[in-house]
Amino acid sequence: MNPADLQALLPILIVAGGALLVMLVLSFKRSQTLSSLLTLLSLAAALASIPMAMSADADRIAPLLVIDSFGFFYQGLMLILTMVVTIFAHSYLEKFRMERGEFYILLLLSLVGAIALAQASHFVSLFLGIELLSVSLYIMVGYIFTRAKAIEAAVKYLFLAAVTSAFLLFGMALIYARLGSMDFITIAHLLREHPLDDPYLLAGSVLMFVGIGFKLSVVPFHQWTPDIYQGAPAPVTGYLATVSKIAVMAVTLRFFYSMDLHQQPGIAAALTLIAAASMLVGNLLALFQDNVKRLLAYSSIAHIGYILVAFIAGGERGPEAVTFYLSIYSLALLAAFGVIAYLSPSDRDSDTIDHYRGLFWSRPWIAVAFSIALFSLIGLPLTAGFMGKLFLVSAGIQAEEWLLVIWLAANSAIGLYYYLRIVIAMYQTSDDPQSEDSTAPPFALIIGTVIGLLVLSIVWFGLHPESLNLWIRALSTQP
Amino acid sequence: MYDLLWLIPALPFVGFLILTLAARSLSQRVAAVIACGTVGVSAVLTLGMIAGFLWNPPADYAHTVTLWQWMPLNSLEIAFNLRIDALSLVMASVITVVGFLIHLYSSEYMQGDEAYTRFFAYLNLFVGFMLILVMADNFALLLLGWEGVGLCSYLLIGFWYQKPENGFAARKAFVVTRIGDVSLLVAVFLIFSELGTLQLSEVLALAPDRWAEGSTTAWVVSLLLLGGAVGKSAQLPLQTWLPDAMAGPTPVSALIHAATMVTAGVYLIARMHGIFELSPSAMTVVALVGTVTLLTAGCAALVQSDIKRVLAYSTISQLGYMFLALGVGAWAGALFHFMTHAWFKALLFLAAGSVIAALHHEQNIHRMGGLRKRLPVLFWTFVAGAACLAALPLVTSGFYSKEKILWDVWISPLGGPWFWSAAILGALITALYSTRLIMLVFFGEAKTEVSHRPGKRSSFVLIVLAVWSLIGGGIEVPHNFGHLTLLSNFLETAIPASVELPPGLDLQLWILLLVASAIVTGGVLATVWLYGSGSPLRQKISDRTSGLQRFWLGGWGFDTAYDRLLVQPIVWLSQINRRDGVDGLCRVAVSLGRTGHFLLSTTQQGRLRRYAIGISAGALALLILMLLQ
Amino acid sequence: MNAAIEYWPFGVYVGAVVVVIAGKLLASHFLGERHRERVTGEAYESGILPTGTGRLRFSIKFFLIAILFVIFDLELVFIFAWAVAIHELGWPGFWGLMVFMGILTVGLIYEWRMGSLDWIPRRPANKRSRPSTLSSKPEPTR
Repeated sequence: MNPADLQALLPILIVAGGALLVMLVLSFKRSQTLSSLLTLLSLAAALASIPMAMSADADRIAPLLVIDSFGFFYQGLMLILTMVVTIFAHSYLEKFRMERGEFYILLLLSLVGAIALAQASHFVSLFLGIELLSVSLYIMVGYIFTRAKAIEAAVKYLFLAAVTSAFLLFGMALIYARLGSMDFITIAHLLREHPLDDPYLLAGSVLMFVGIGFKLSVVPFHQWTPDIYQGAPAPVTGYLATVSKIAVMAVTLRFFYSMDLHQQPGIAAALTLIAAASMLVGNLLALFQDNVKRLLAYSSIAHIGYILVAFIAGGERGPEAVTFYLSIYSLALLAAFGVIAYLSPSDRDSDTIDHYRGLFWSRPWIAVAFSIALFSLIGLPLTAGFMGKLFLVSAGIQAEEWLLVIWLAANSAIGLYYYLRIVIAMYQTSDDPQSEDSTAPPFALIIGTVIGLLVLSIVWFGLHPESLNLWIRALSTQP
Repeated sequence: MYDLLWLIPALPFVGFLILTLAARSLSQRVAAVIACGTVGVSAVLTLGMIAGFLWNPPADYAHTVTLWQWMPLNSLEIAFNLRIDALSLVMASVITVVGFLIHLYSSEYMQGDEAYTRFFAYLNLFVGFMLILVMADNFALLLLGWEGVGLCSYLLIGFWYQKPENGFAARKAFVVTRIGDVSLLVAVFLIFSELGTLQLSEVLALAPDRWAEGSTTAWVVSLLLLGGAVGKSAQLPLQTWLPDAMAGPTPVSALIHAATMVTAGVYLIARMHGIFELSPSAMTVVALVGTVTLLTAGCAALVQSDIKRVLAYSTISQLGYMFLALGVGAWAGALFHFMTHAWFKALLFLAAGSVIAALHHEQNIHRMGGLRKRLPVLFWTFVAGAACLAALPLVTSGFYSKEKILWDVWISPLGGPWFWSAAILGALITALYSTRLIMLVFFGEAKTEVSHRPGKRSSFVLIVLAVWSLIGGGIEVPHNFGHLTLLSNFLETAIPASVELPPGLDLQLWILLLVASAIVTGGVLATVWLYGSGSPLRQKISDRTSGLQRFWLGGWGFDTAYDRLLVQPIVWLSQINRRDGVDGLCRVAVSLGRTGHFLLSTTQQGRLRRYAIGISAGALALLILMLLQ
Repeated sequence: MNAAIEYWPFGVYVGAVVVVIAGKLLASHFLGERHRERVTGEAYESGILPTGTGRLRFSIKFFLIAILFVIFDLELVFIFAWAVAIHELGWPGFWGLMVFMGILTVGLIYEWRMGSLDWIPRRPANKRSRPSTLSSKPEPTR
């Protein structure tokens, strides 16, 4: 561990230090605003440290982490998204009379796990990252412990995550048993000589994928998603749906691509099956869903299915498209959860479609912002979602995955229906204005501004995708 | 300076955004200031660009600004790039300047309307899209503008949507122009598949290399482009939407359905001149469409009783002149007429709007009359506009532009005496109906009370437009007196100059000029006599509604014919074919989705142990799948 | 398919597991007595009638103390490990351990200030924290 290594680790160190700092400050001064400000500060500092970390003269913190621009991009993305979540959470938690400061400790701790995953190149760091991310998330999901649904969601998440962690560990153990290494690079090296149709390795990678697939909520490991999305407080759901998935996707990309697992015919077939099933099942389940949070949960299953299309396609475009789509999707999804958080009164989240009926006539700005976020999720042109889908499709076409691409297109059409149901509800006239007591003015302004920025970025990247794509294309991975 | 180019279309969009998003918190006054201000600044910028072009022209007389690359796909690169050259600058200057004046007029005219801000939001959106349309340097962006103005036209025709007729008119306009849009879209696809680029400048550069003169591809592409132009510019056979489009507020009719949007077709053909020149037969088709349109629409205008419908038919007819000019290769002539027409027709519409507002929203010209003394400003400005429309010799801009078209038609190899005679007949008809309009509205006895007088801003706009219409023709004066060709010289940098002028034709020119002037003046005088002196002939005309009159009143029965030939059969077909295979397919898809949803829903019961079983079973299934391979 | 041949003992083992467990369950299903009396559902307390509920409430403090013990006791494991290799690790090892101790200290301060170490709360019991209601049987949700 020399100074250069420490410099390369700055983002992780700063976030971890931020968690400690918040904890220490919280011991002496209980103030939600102070805690959240410190959180924002440490996130901003971590973000600002990324250029410095990039310039560090290190390419590996052997053997656990690798230092490359790919990892830093994902770290930056997650840091920005977490800042947004922090702001949402602050306004959201203001409505509750409970200990609120600890939330930020948990948030920062789980983020440490998440950004470590972006650089993980070893089974140990992979597992530690996932656990660090999850353990904090269990508590965050059940943070509003006066709500039965939240506790239920937390217990379900805890239990199922424990089950799948066991799968993950077992998978790692099997691979280690055969190859004697837990390091991605060494494994990749060994795999060149070793036939991959070895049952240990196949079983190991499948079992590992169970753990990963659970976090990504792909079919058939998806059933938990709606319950947890619905039960968790809106900002936490936003965090769970974006940062946690991005982190896991980042490490999955690195893991699979470093050893070209996605090109192994058996695994590719399994992934194709999973992608196709995720798209269909997610969309069908969302079809007549009346609860917006559940609807977004189901649709997230489908979105990961879309992303898998480019993931399977691979090549040069594949990972680029995955990264682009993830970034764009997260922006839109976070905007949507921001709107939900904004409109939620203290007793429950306003998450049924009826809550949104006539929203345009009472709060036009929020309704327009929500509509744009939903349009982006649908993938309508001039929003970033369209570009994201376009890149996924073009990656798929380049790899000649015709069936998957057609399947993706057909499934997007289903998506149109349920997203538009929300949009239409917002523009209907309703006699009884819902949710008058949601977010109080000063917070409403802050959260509204953040939602506005998210929506602007969605439109901006829809009009000018190159501004993001240039960066993504320049990313390089150290295997 | 040219780097500010993007501001020209961007400003109206900014205005639109502000007006839409802050609709409730804005007072009418602020809304009007924002709307007029953004378009006004655009106008100033455009004029600045023109000045820059004149004093210090950029290389190749064109300046392209690539704002950014939109979609980098494998072989297709769609960029947001704007291009200005003489052609788009002329278009843009008319759009912004006339647009600004109409905004100014509307700020007074629309006062008291509940949806004041919405009106200006749409109007600003329209100006933005129109500017995108004329400044786009690739077909994707051009189509964006093209569809955008169509959308705004739809929204503004149906602006008073509480009345169902307005909604129907809006829908009709949208559907009919849609036919043309499809044609344009096919043309764009064809161009892309043949030339592999959507960049306008590249298309124009590549087309002569790839397609021989008179080749079928060029012919097909030209005709498809013409189809698009015909739809947007309300030419035969897709002209039926424009008279109904008068359901919108009058400033809308002035801006969209007279001065700017309907000329998009003219712009398209002028822009794509390189392709049309490859196919002389297509050019002839353009000329024919223009000729037939100008005659039929002129005749229809003769007998209308609604003041706005008279003007609508006259717009169609004047657009016919522009198409005729395009068809014979008189590019500059068409653009010149576009400019003068934009001024005087906007003037006529705005003045008509004030007349209508003054008379309790009375639109029937037979119930007007005697307004000359009571509304002098309106009278004089209206007369100025009508004189331009009738092309009264020497003093009006319409005279110069129409004369240029007539002359070009005469000498062009693609034109000739036949086209010329049709055009001169059209000029006579124009003179007749313009004078009829004046006589009926402003002379004779008063039939309706004047309830409202135009305010200061309206009068100012009307006077500005009137002065302009009268003297604006001076920028292009025929060869035989003055020989001033400012506009053609300017346009020559972008599109081929007018038809070659063979030497030694001065005498012919004089004769033609005199003939045309005589016919127009004669027509005007005859109508004045007819309507001014309660002559028996006039009684005969107005008392007896002949079959021909009724036929023309209905716009040559196009609506009825389309209804019988197209609408009814299609409705009938779709009715008897209600449960056909396609429908069945949709039903199957729906019921599959529904069943799938409810089947899958049973897996989501919220029971933890089932979820755990689900995960384990999924893992097992994957394992088996992998190990058995 | 040679993989399947190579691993046949494993297959046999899996099969045996299934057979044995299924056999036990089935046997007890068929052989076991089944009757439904008044006291069948009651807890079996060696013939003595149970009184009160089996779900006793006891103070969360016991649990808290246990957890705290685990946390602060586990650090010993690391310190021992460090102490064994103190020469090999040198100063970096020392600073590493100091960071670790620092983190624990922050945790300790936090605990102290939060009153977790007080057996009797300084403030009257936290009014806000009500016992959470965990629905034992979640409603079926779509």
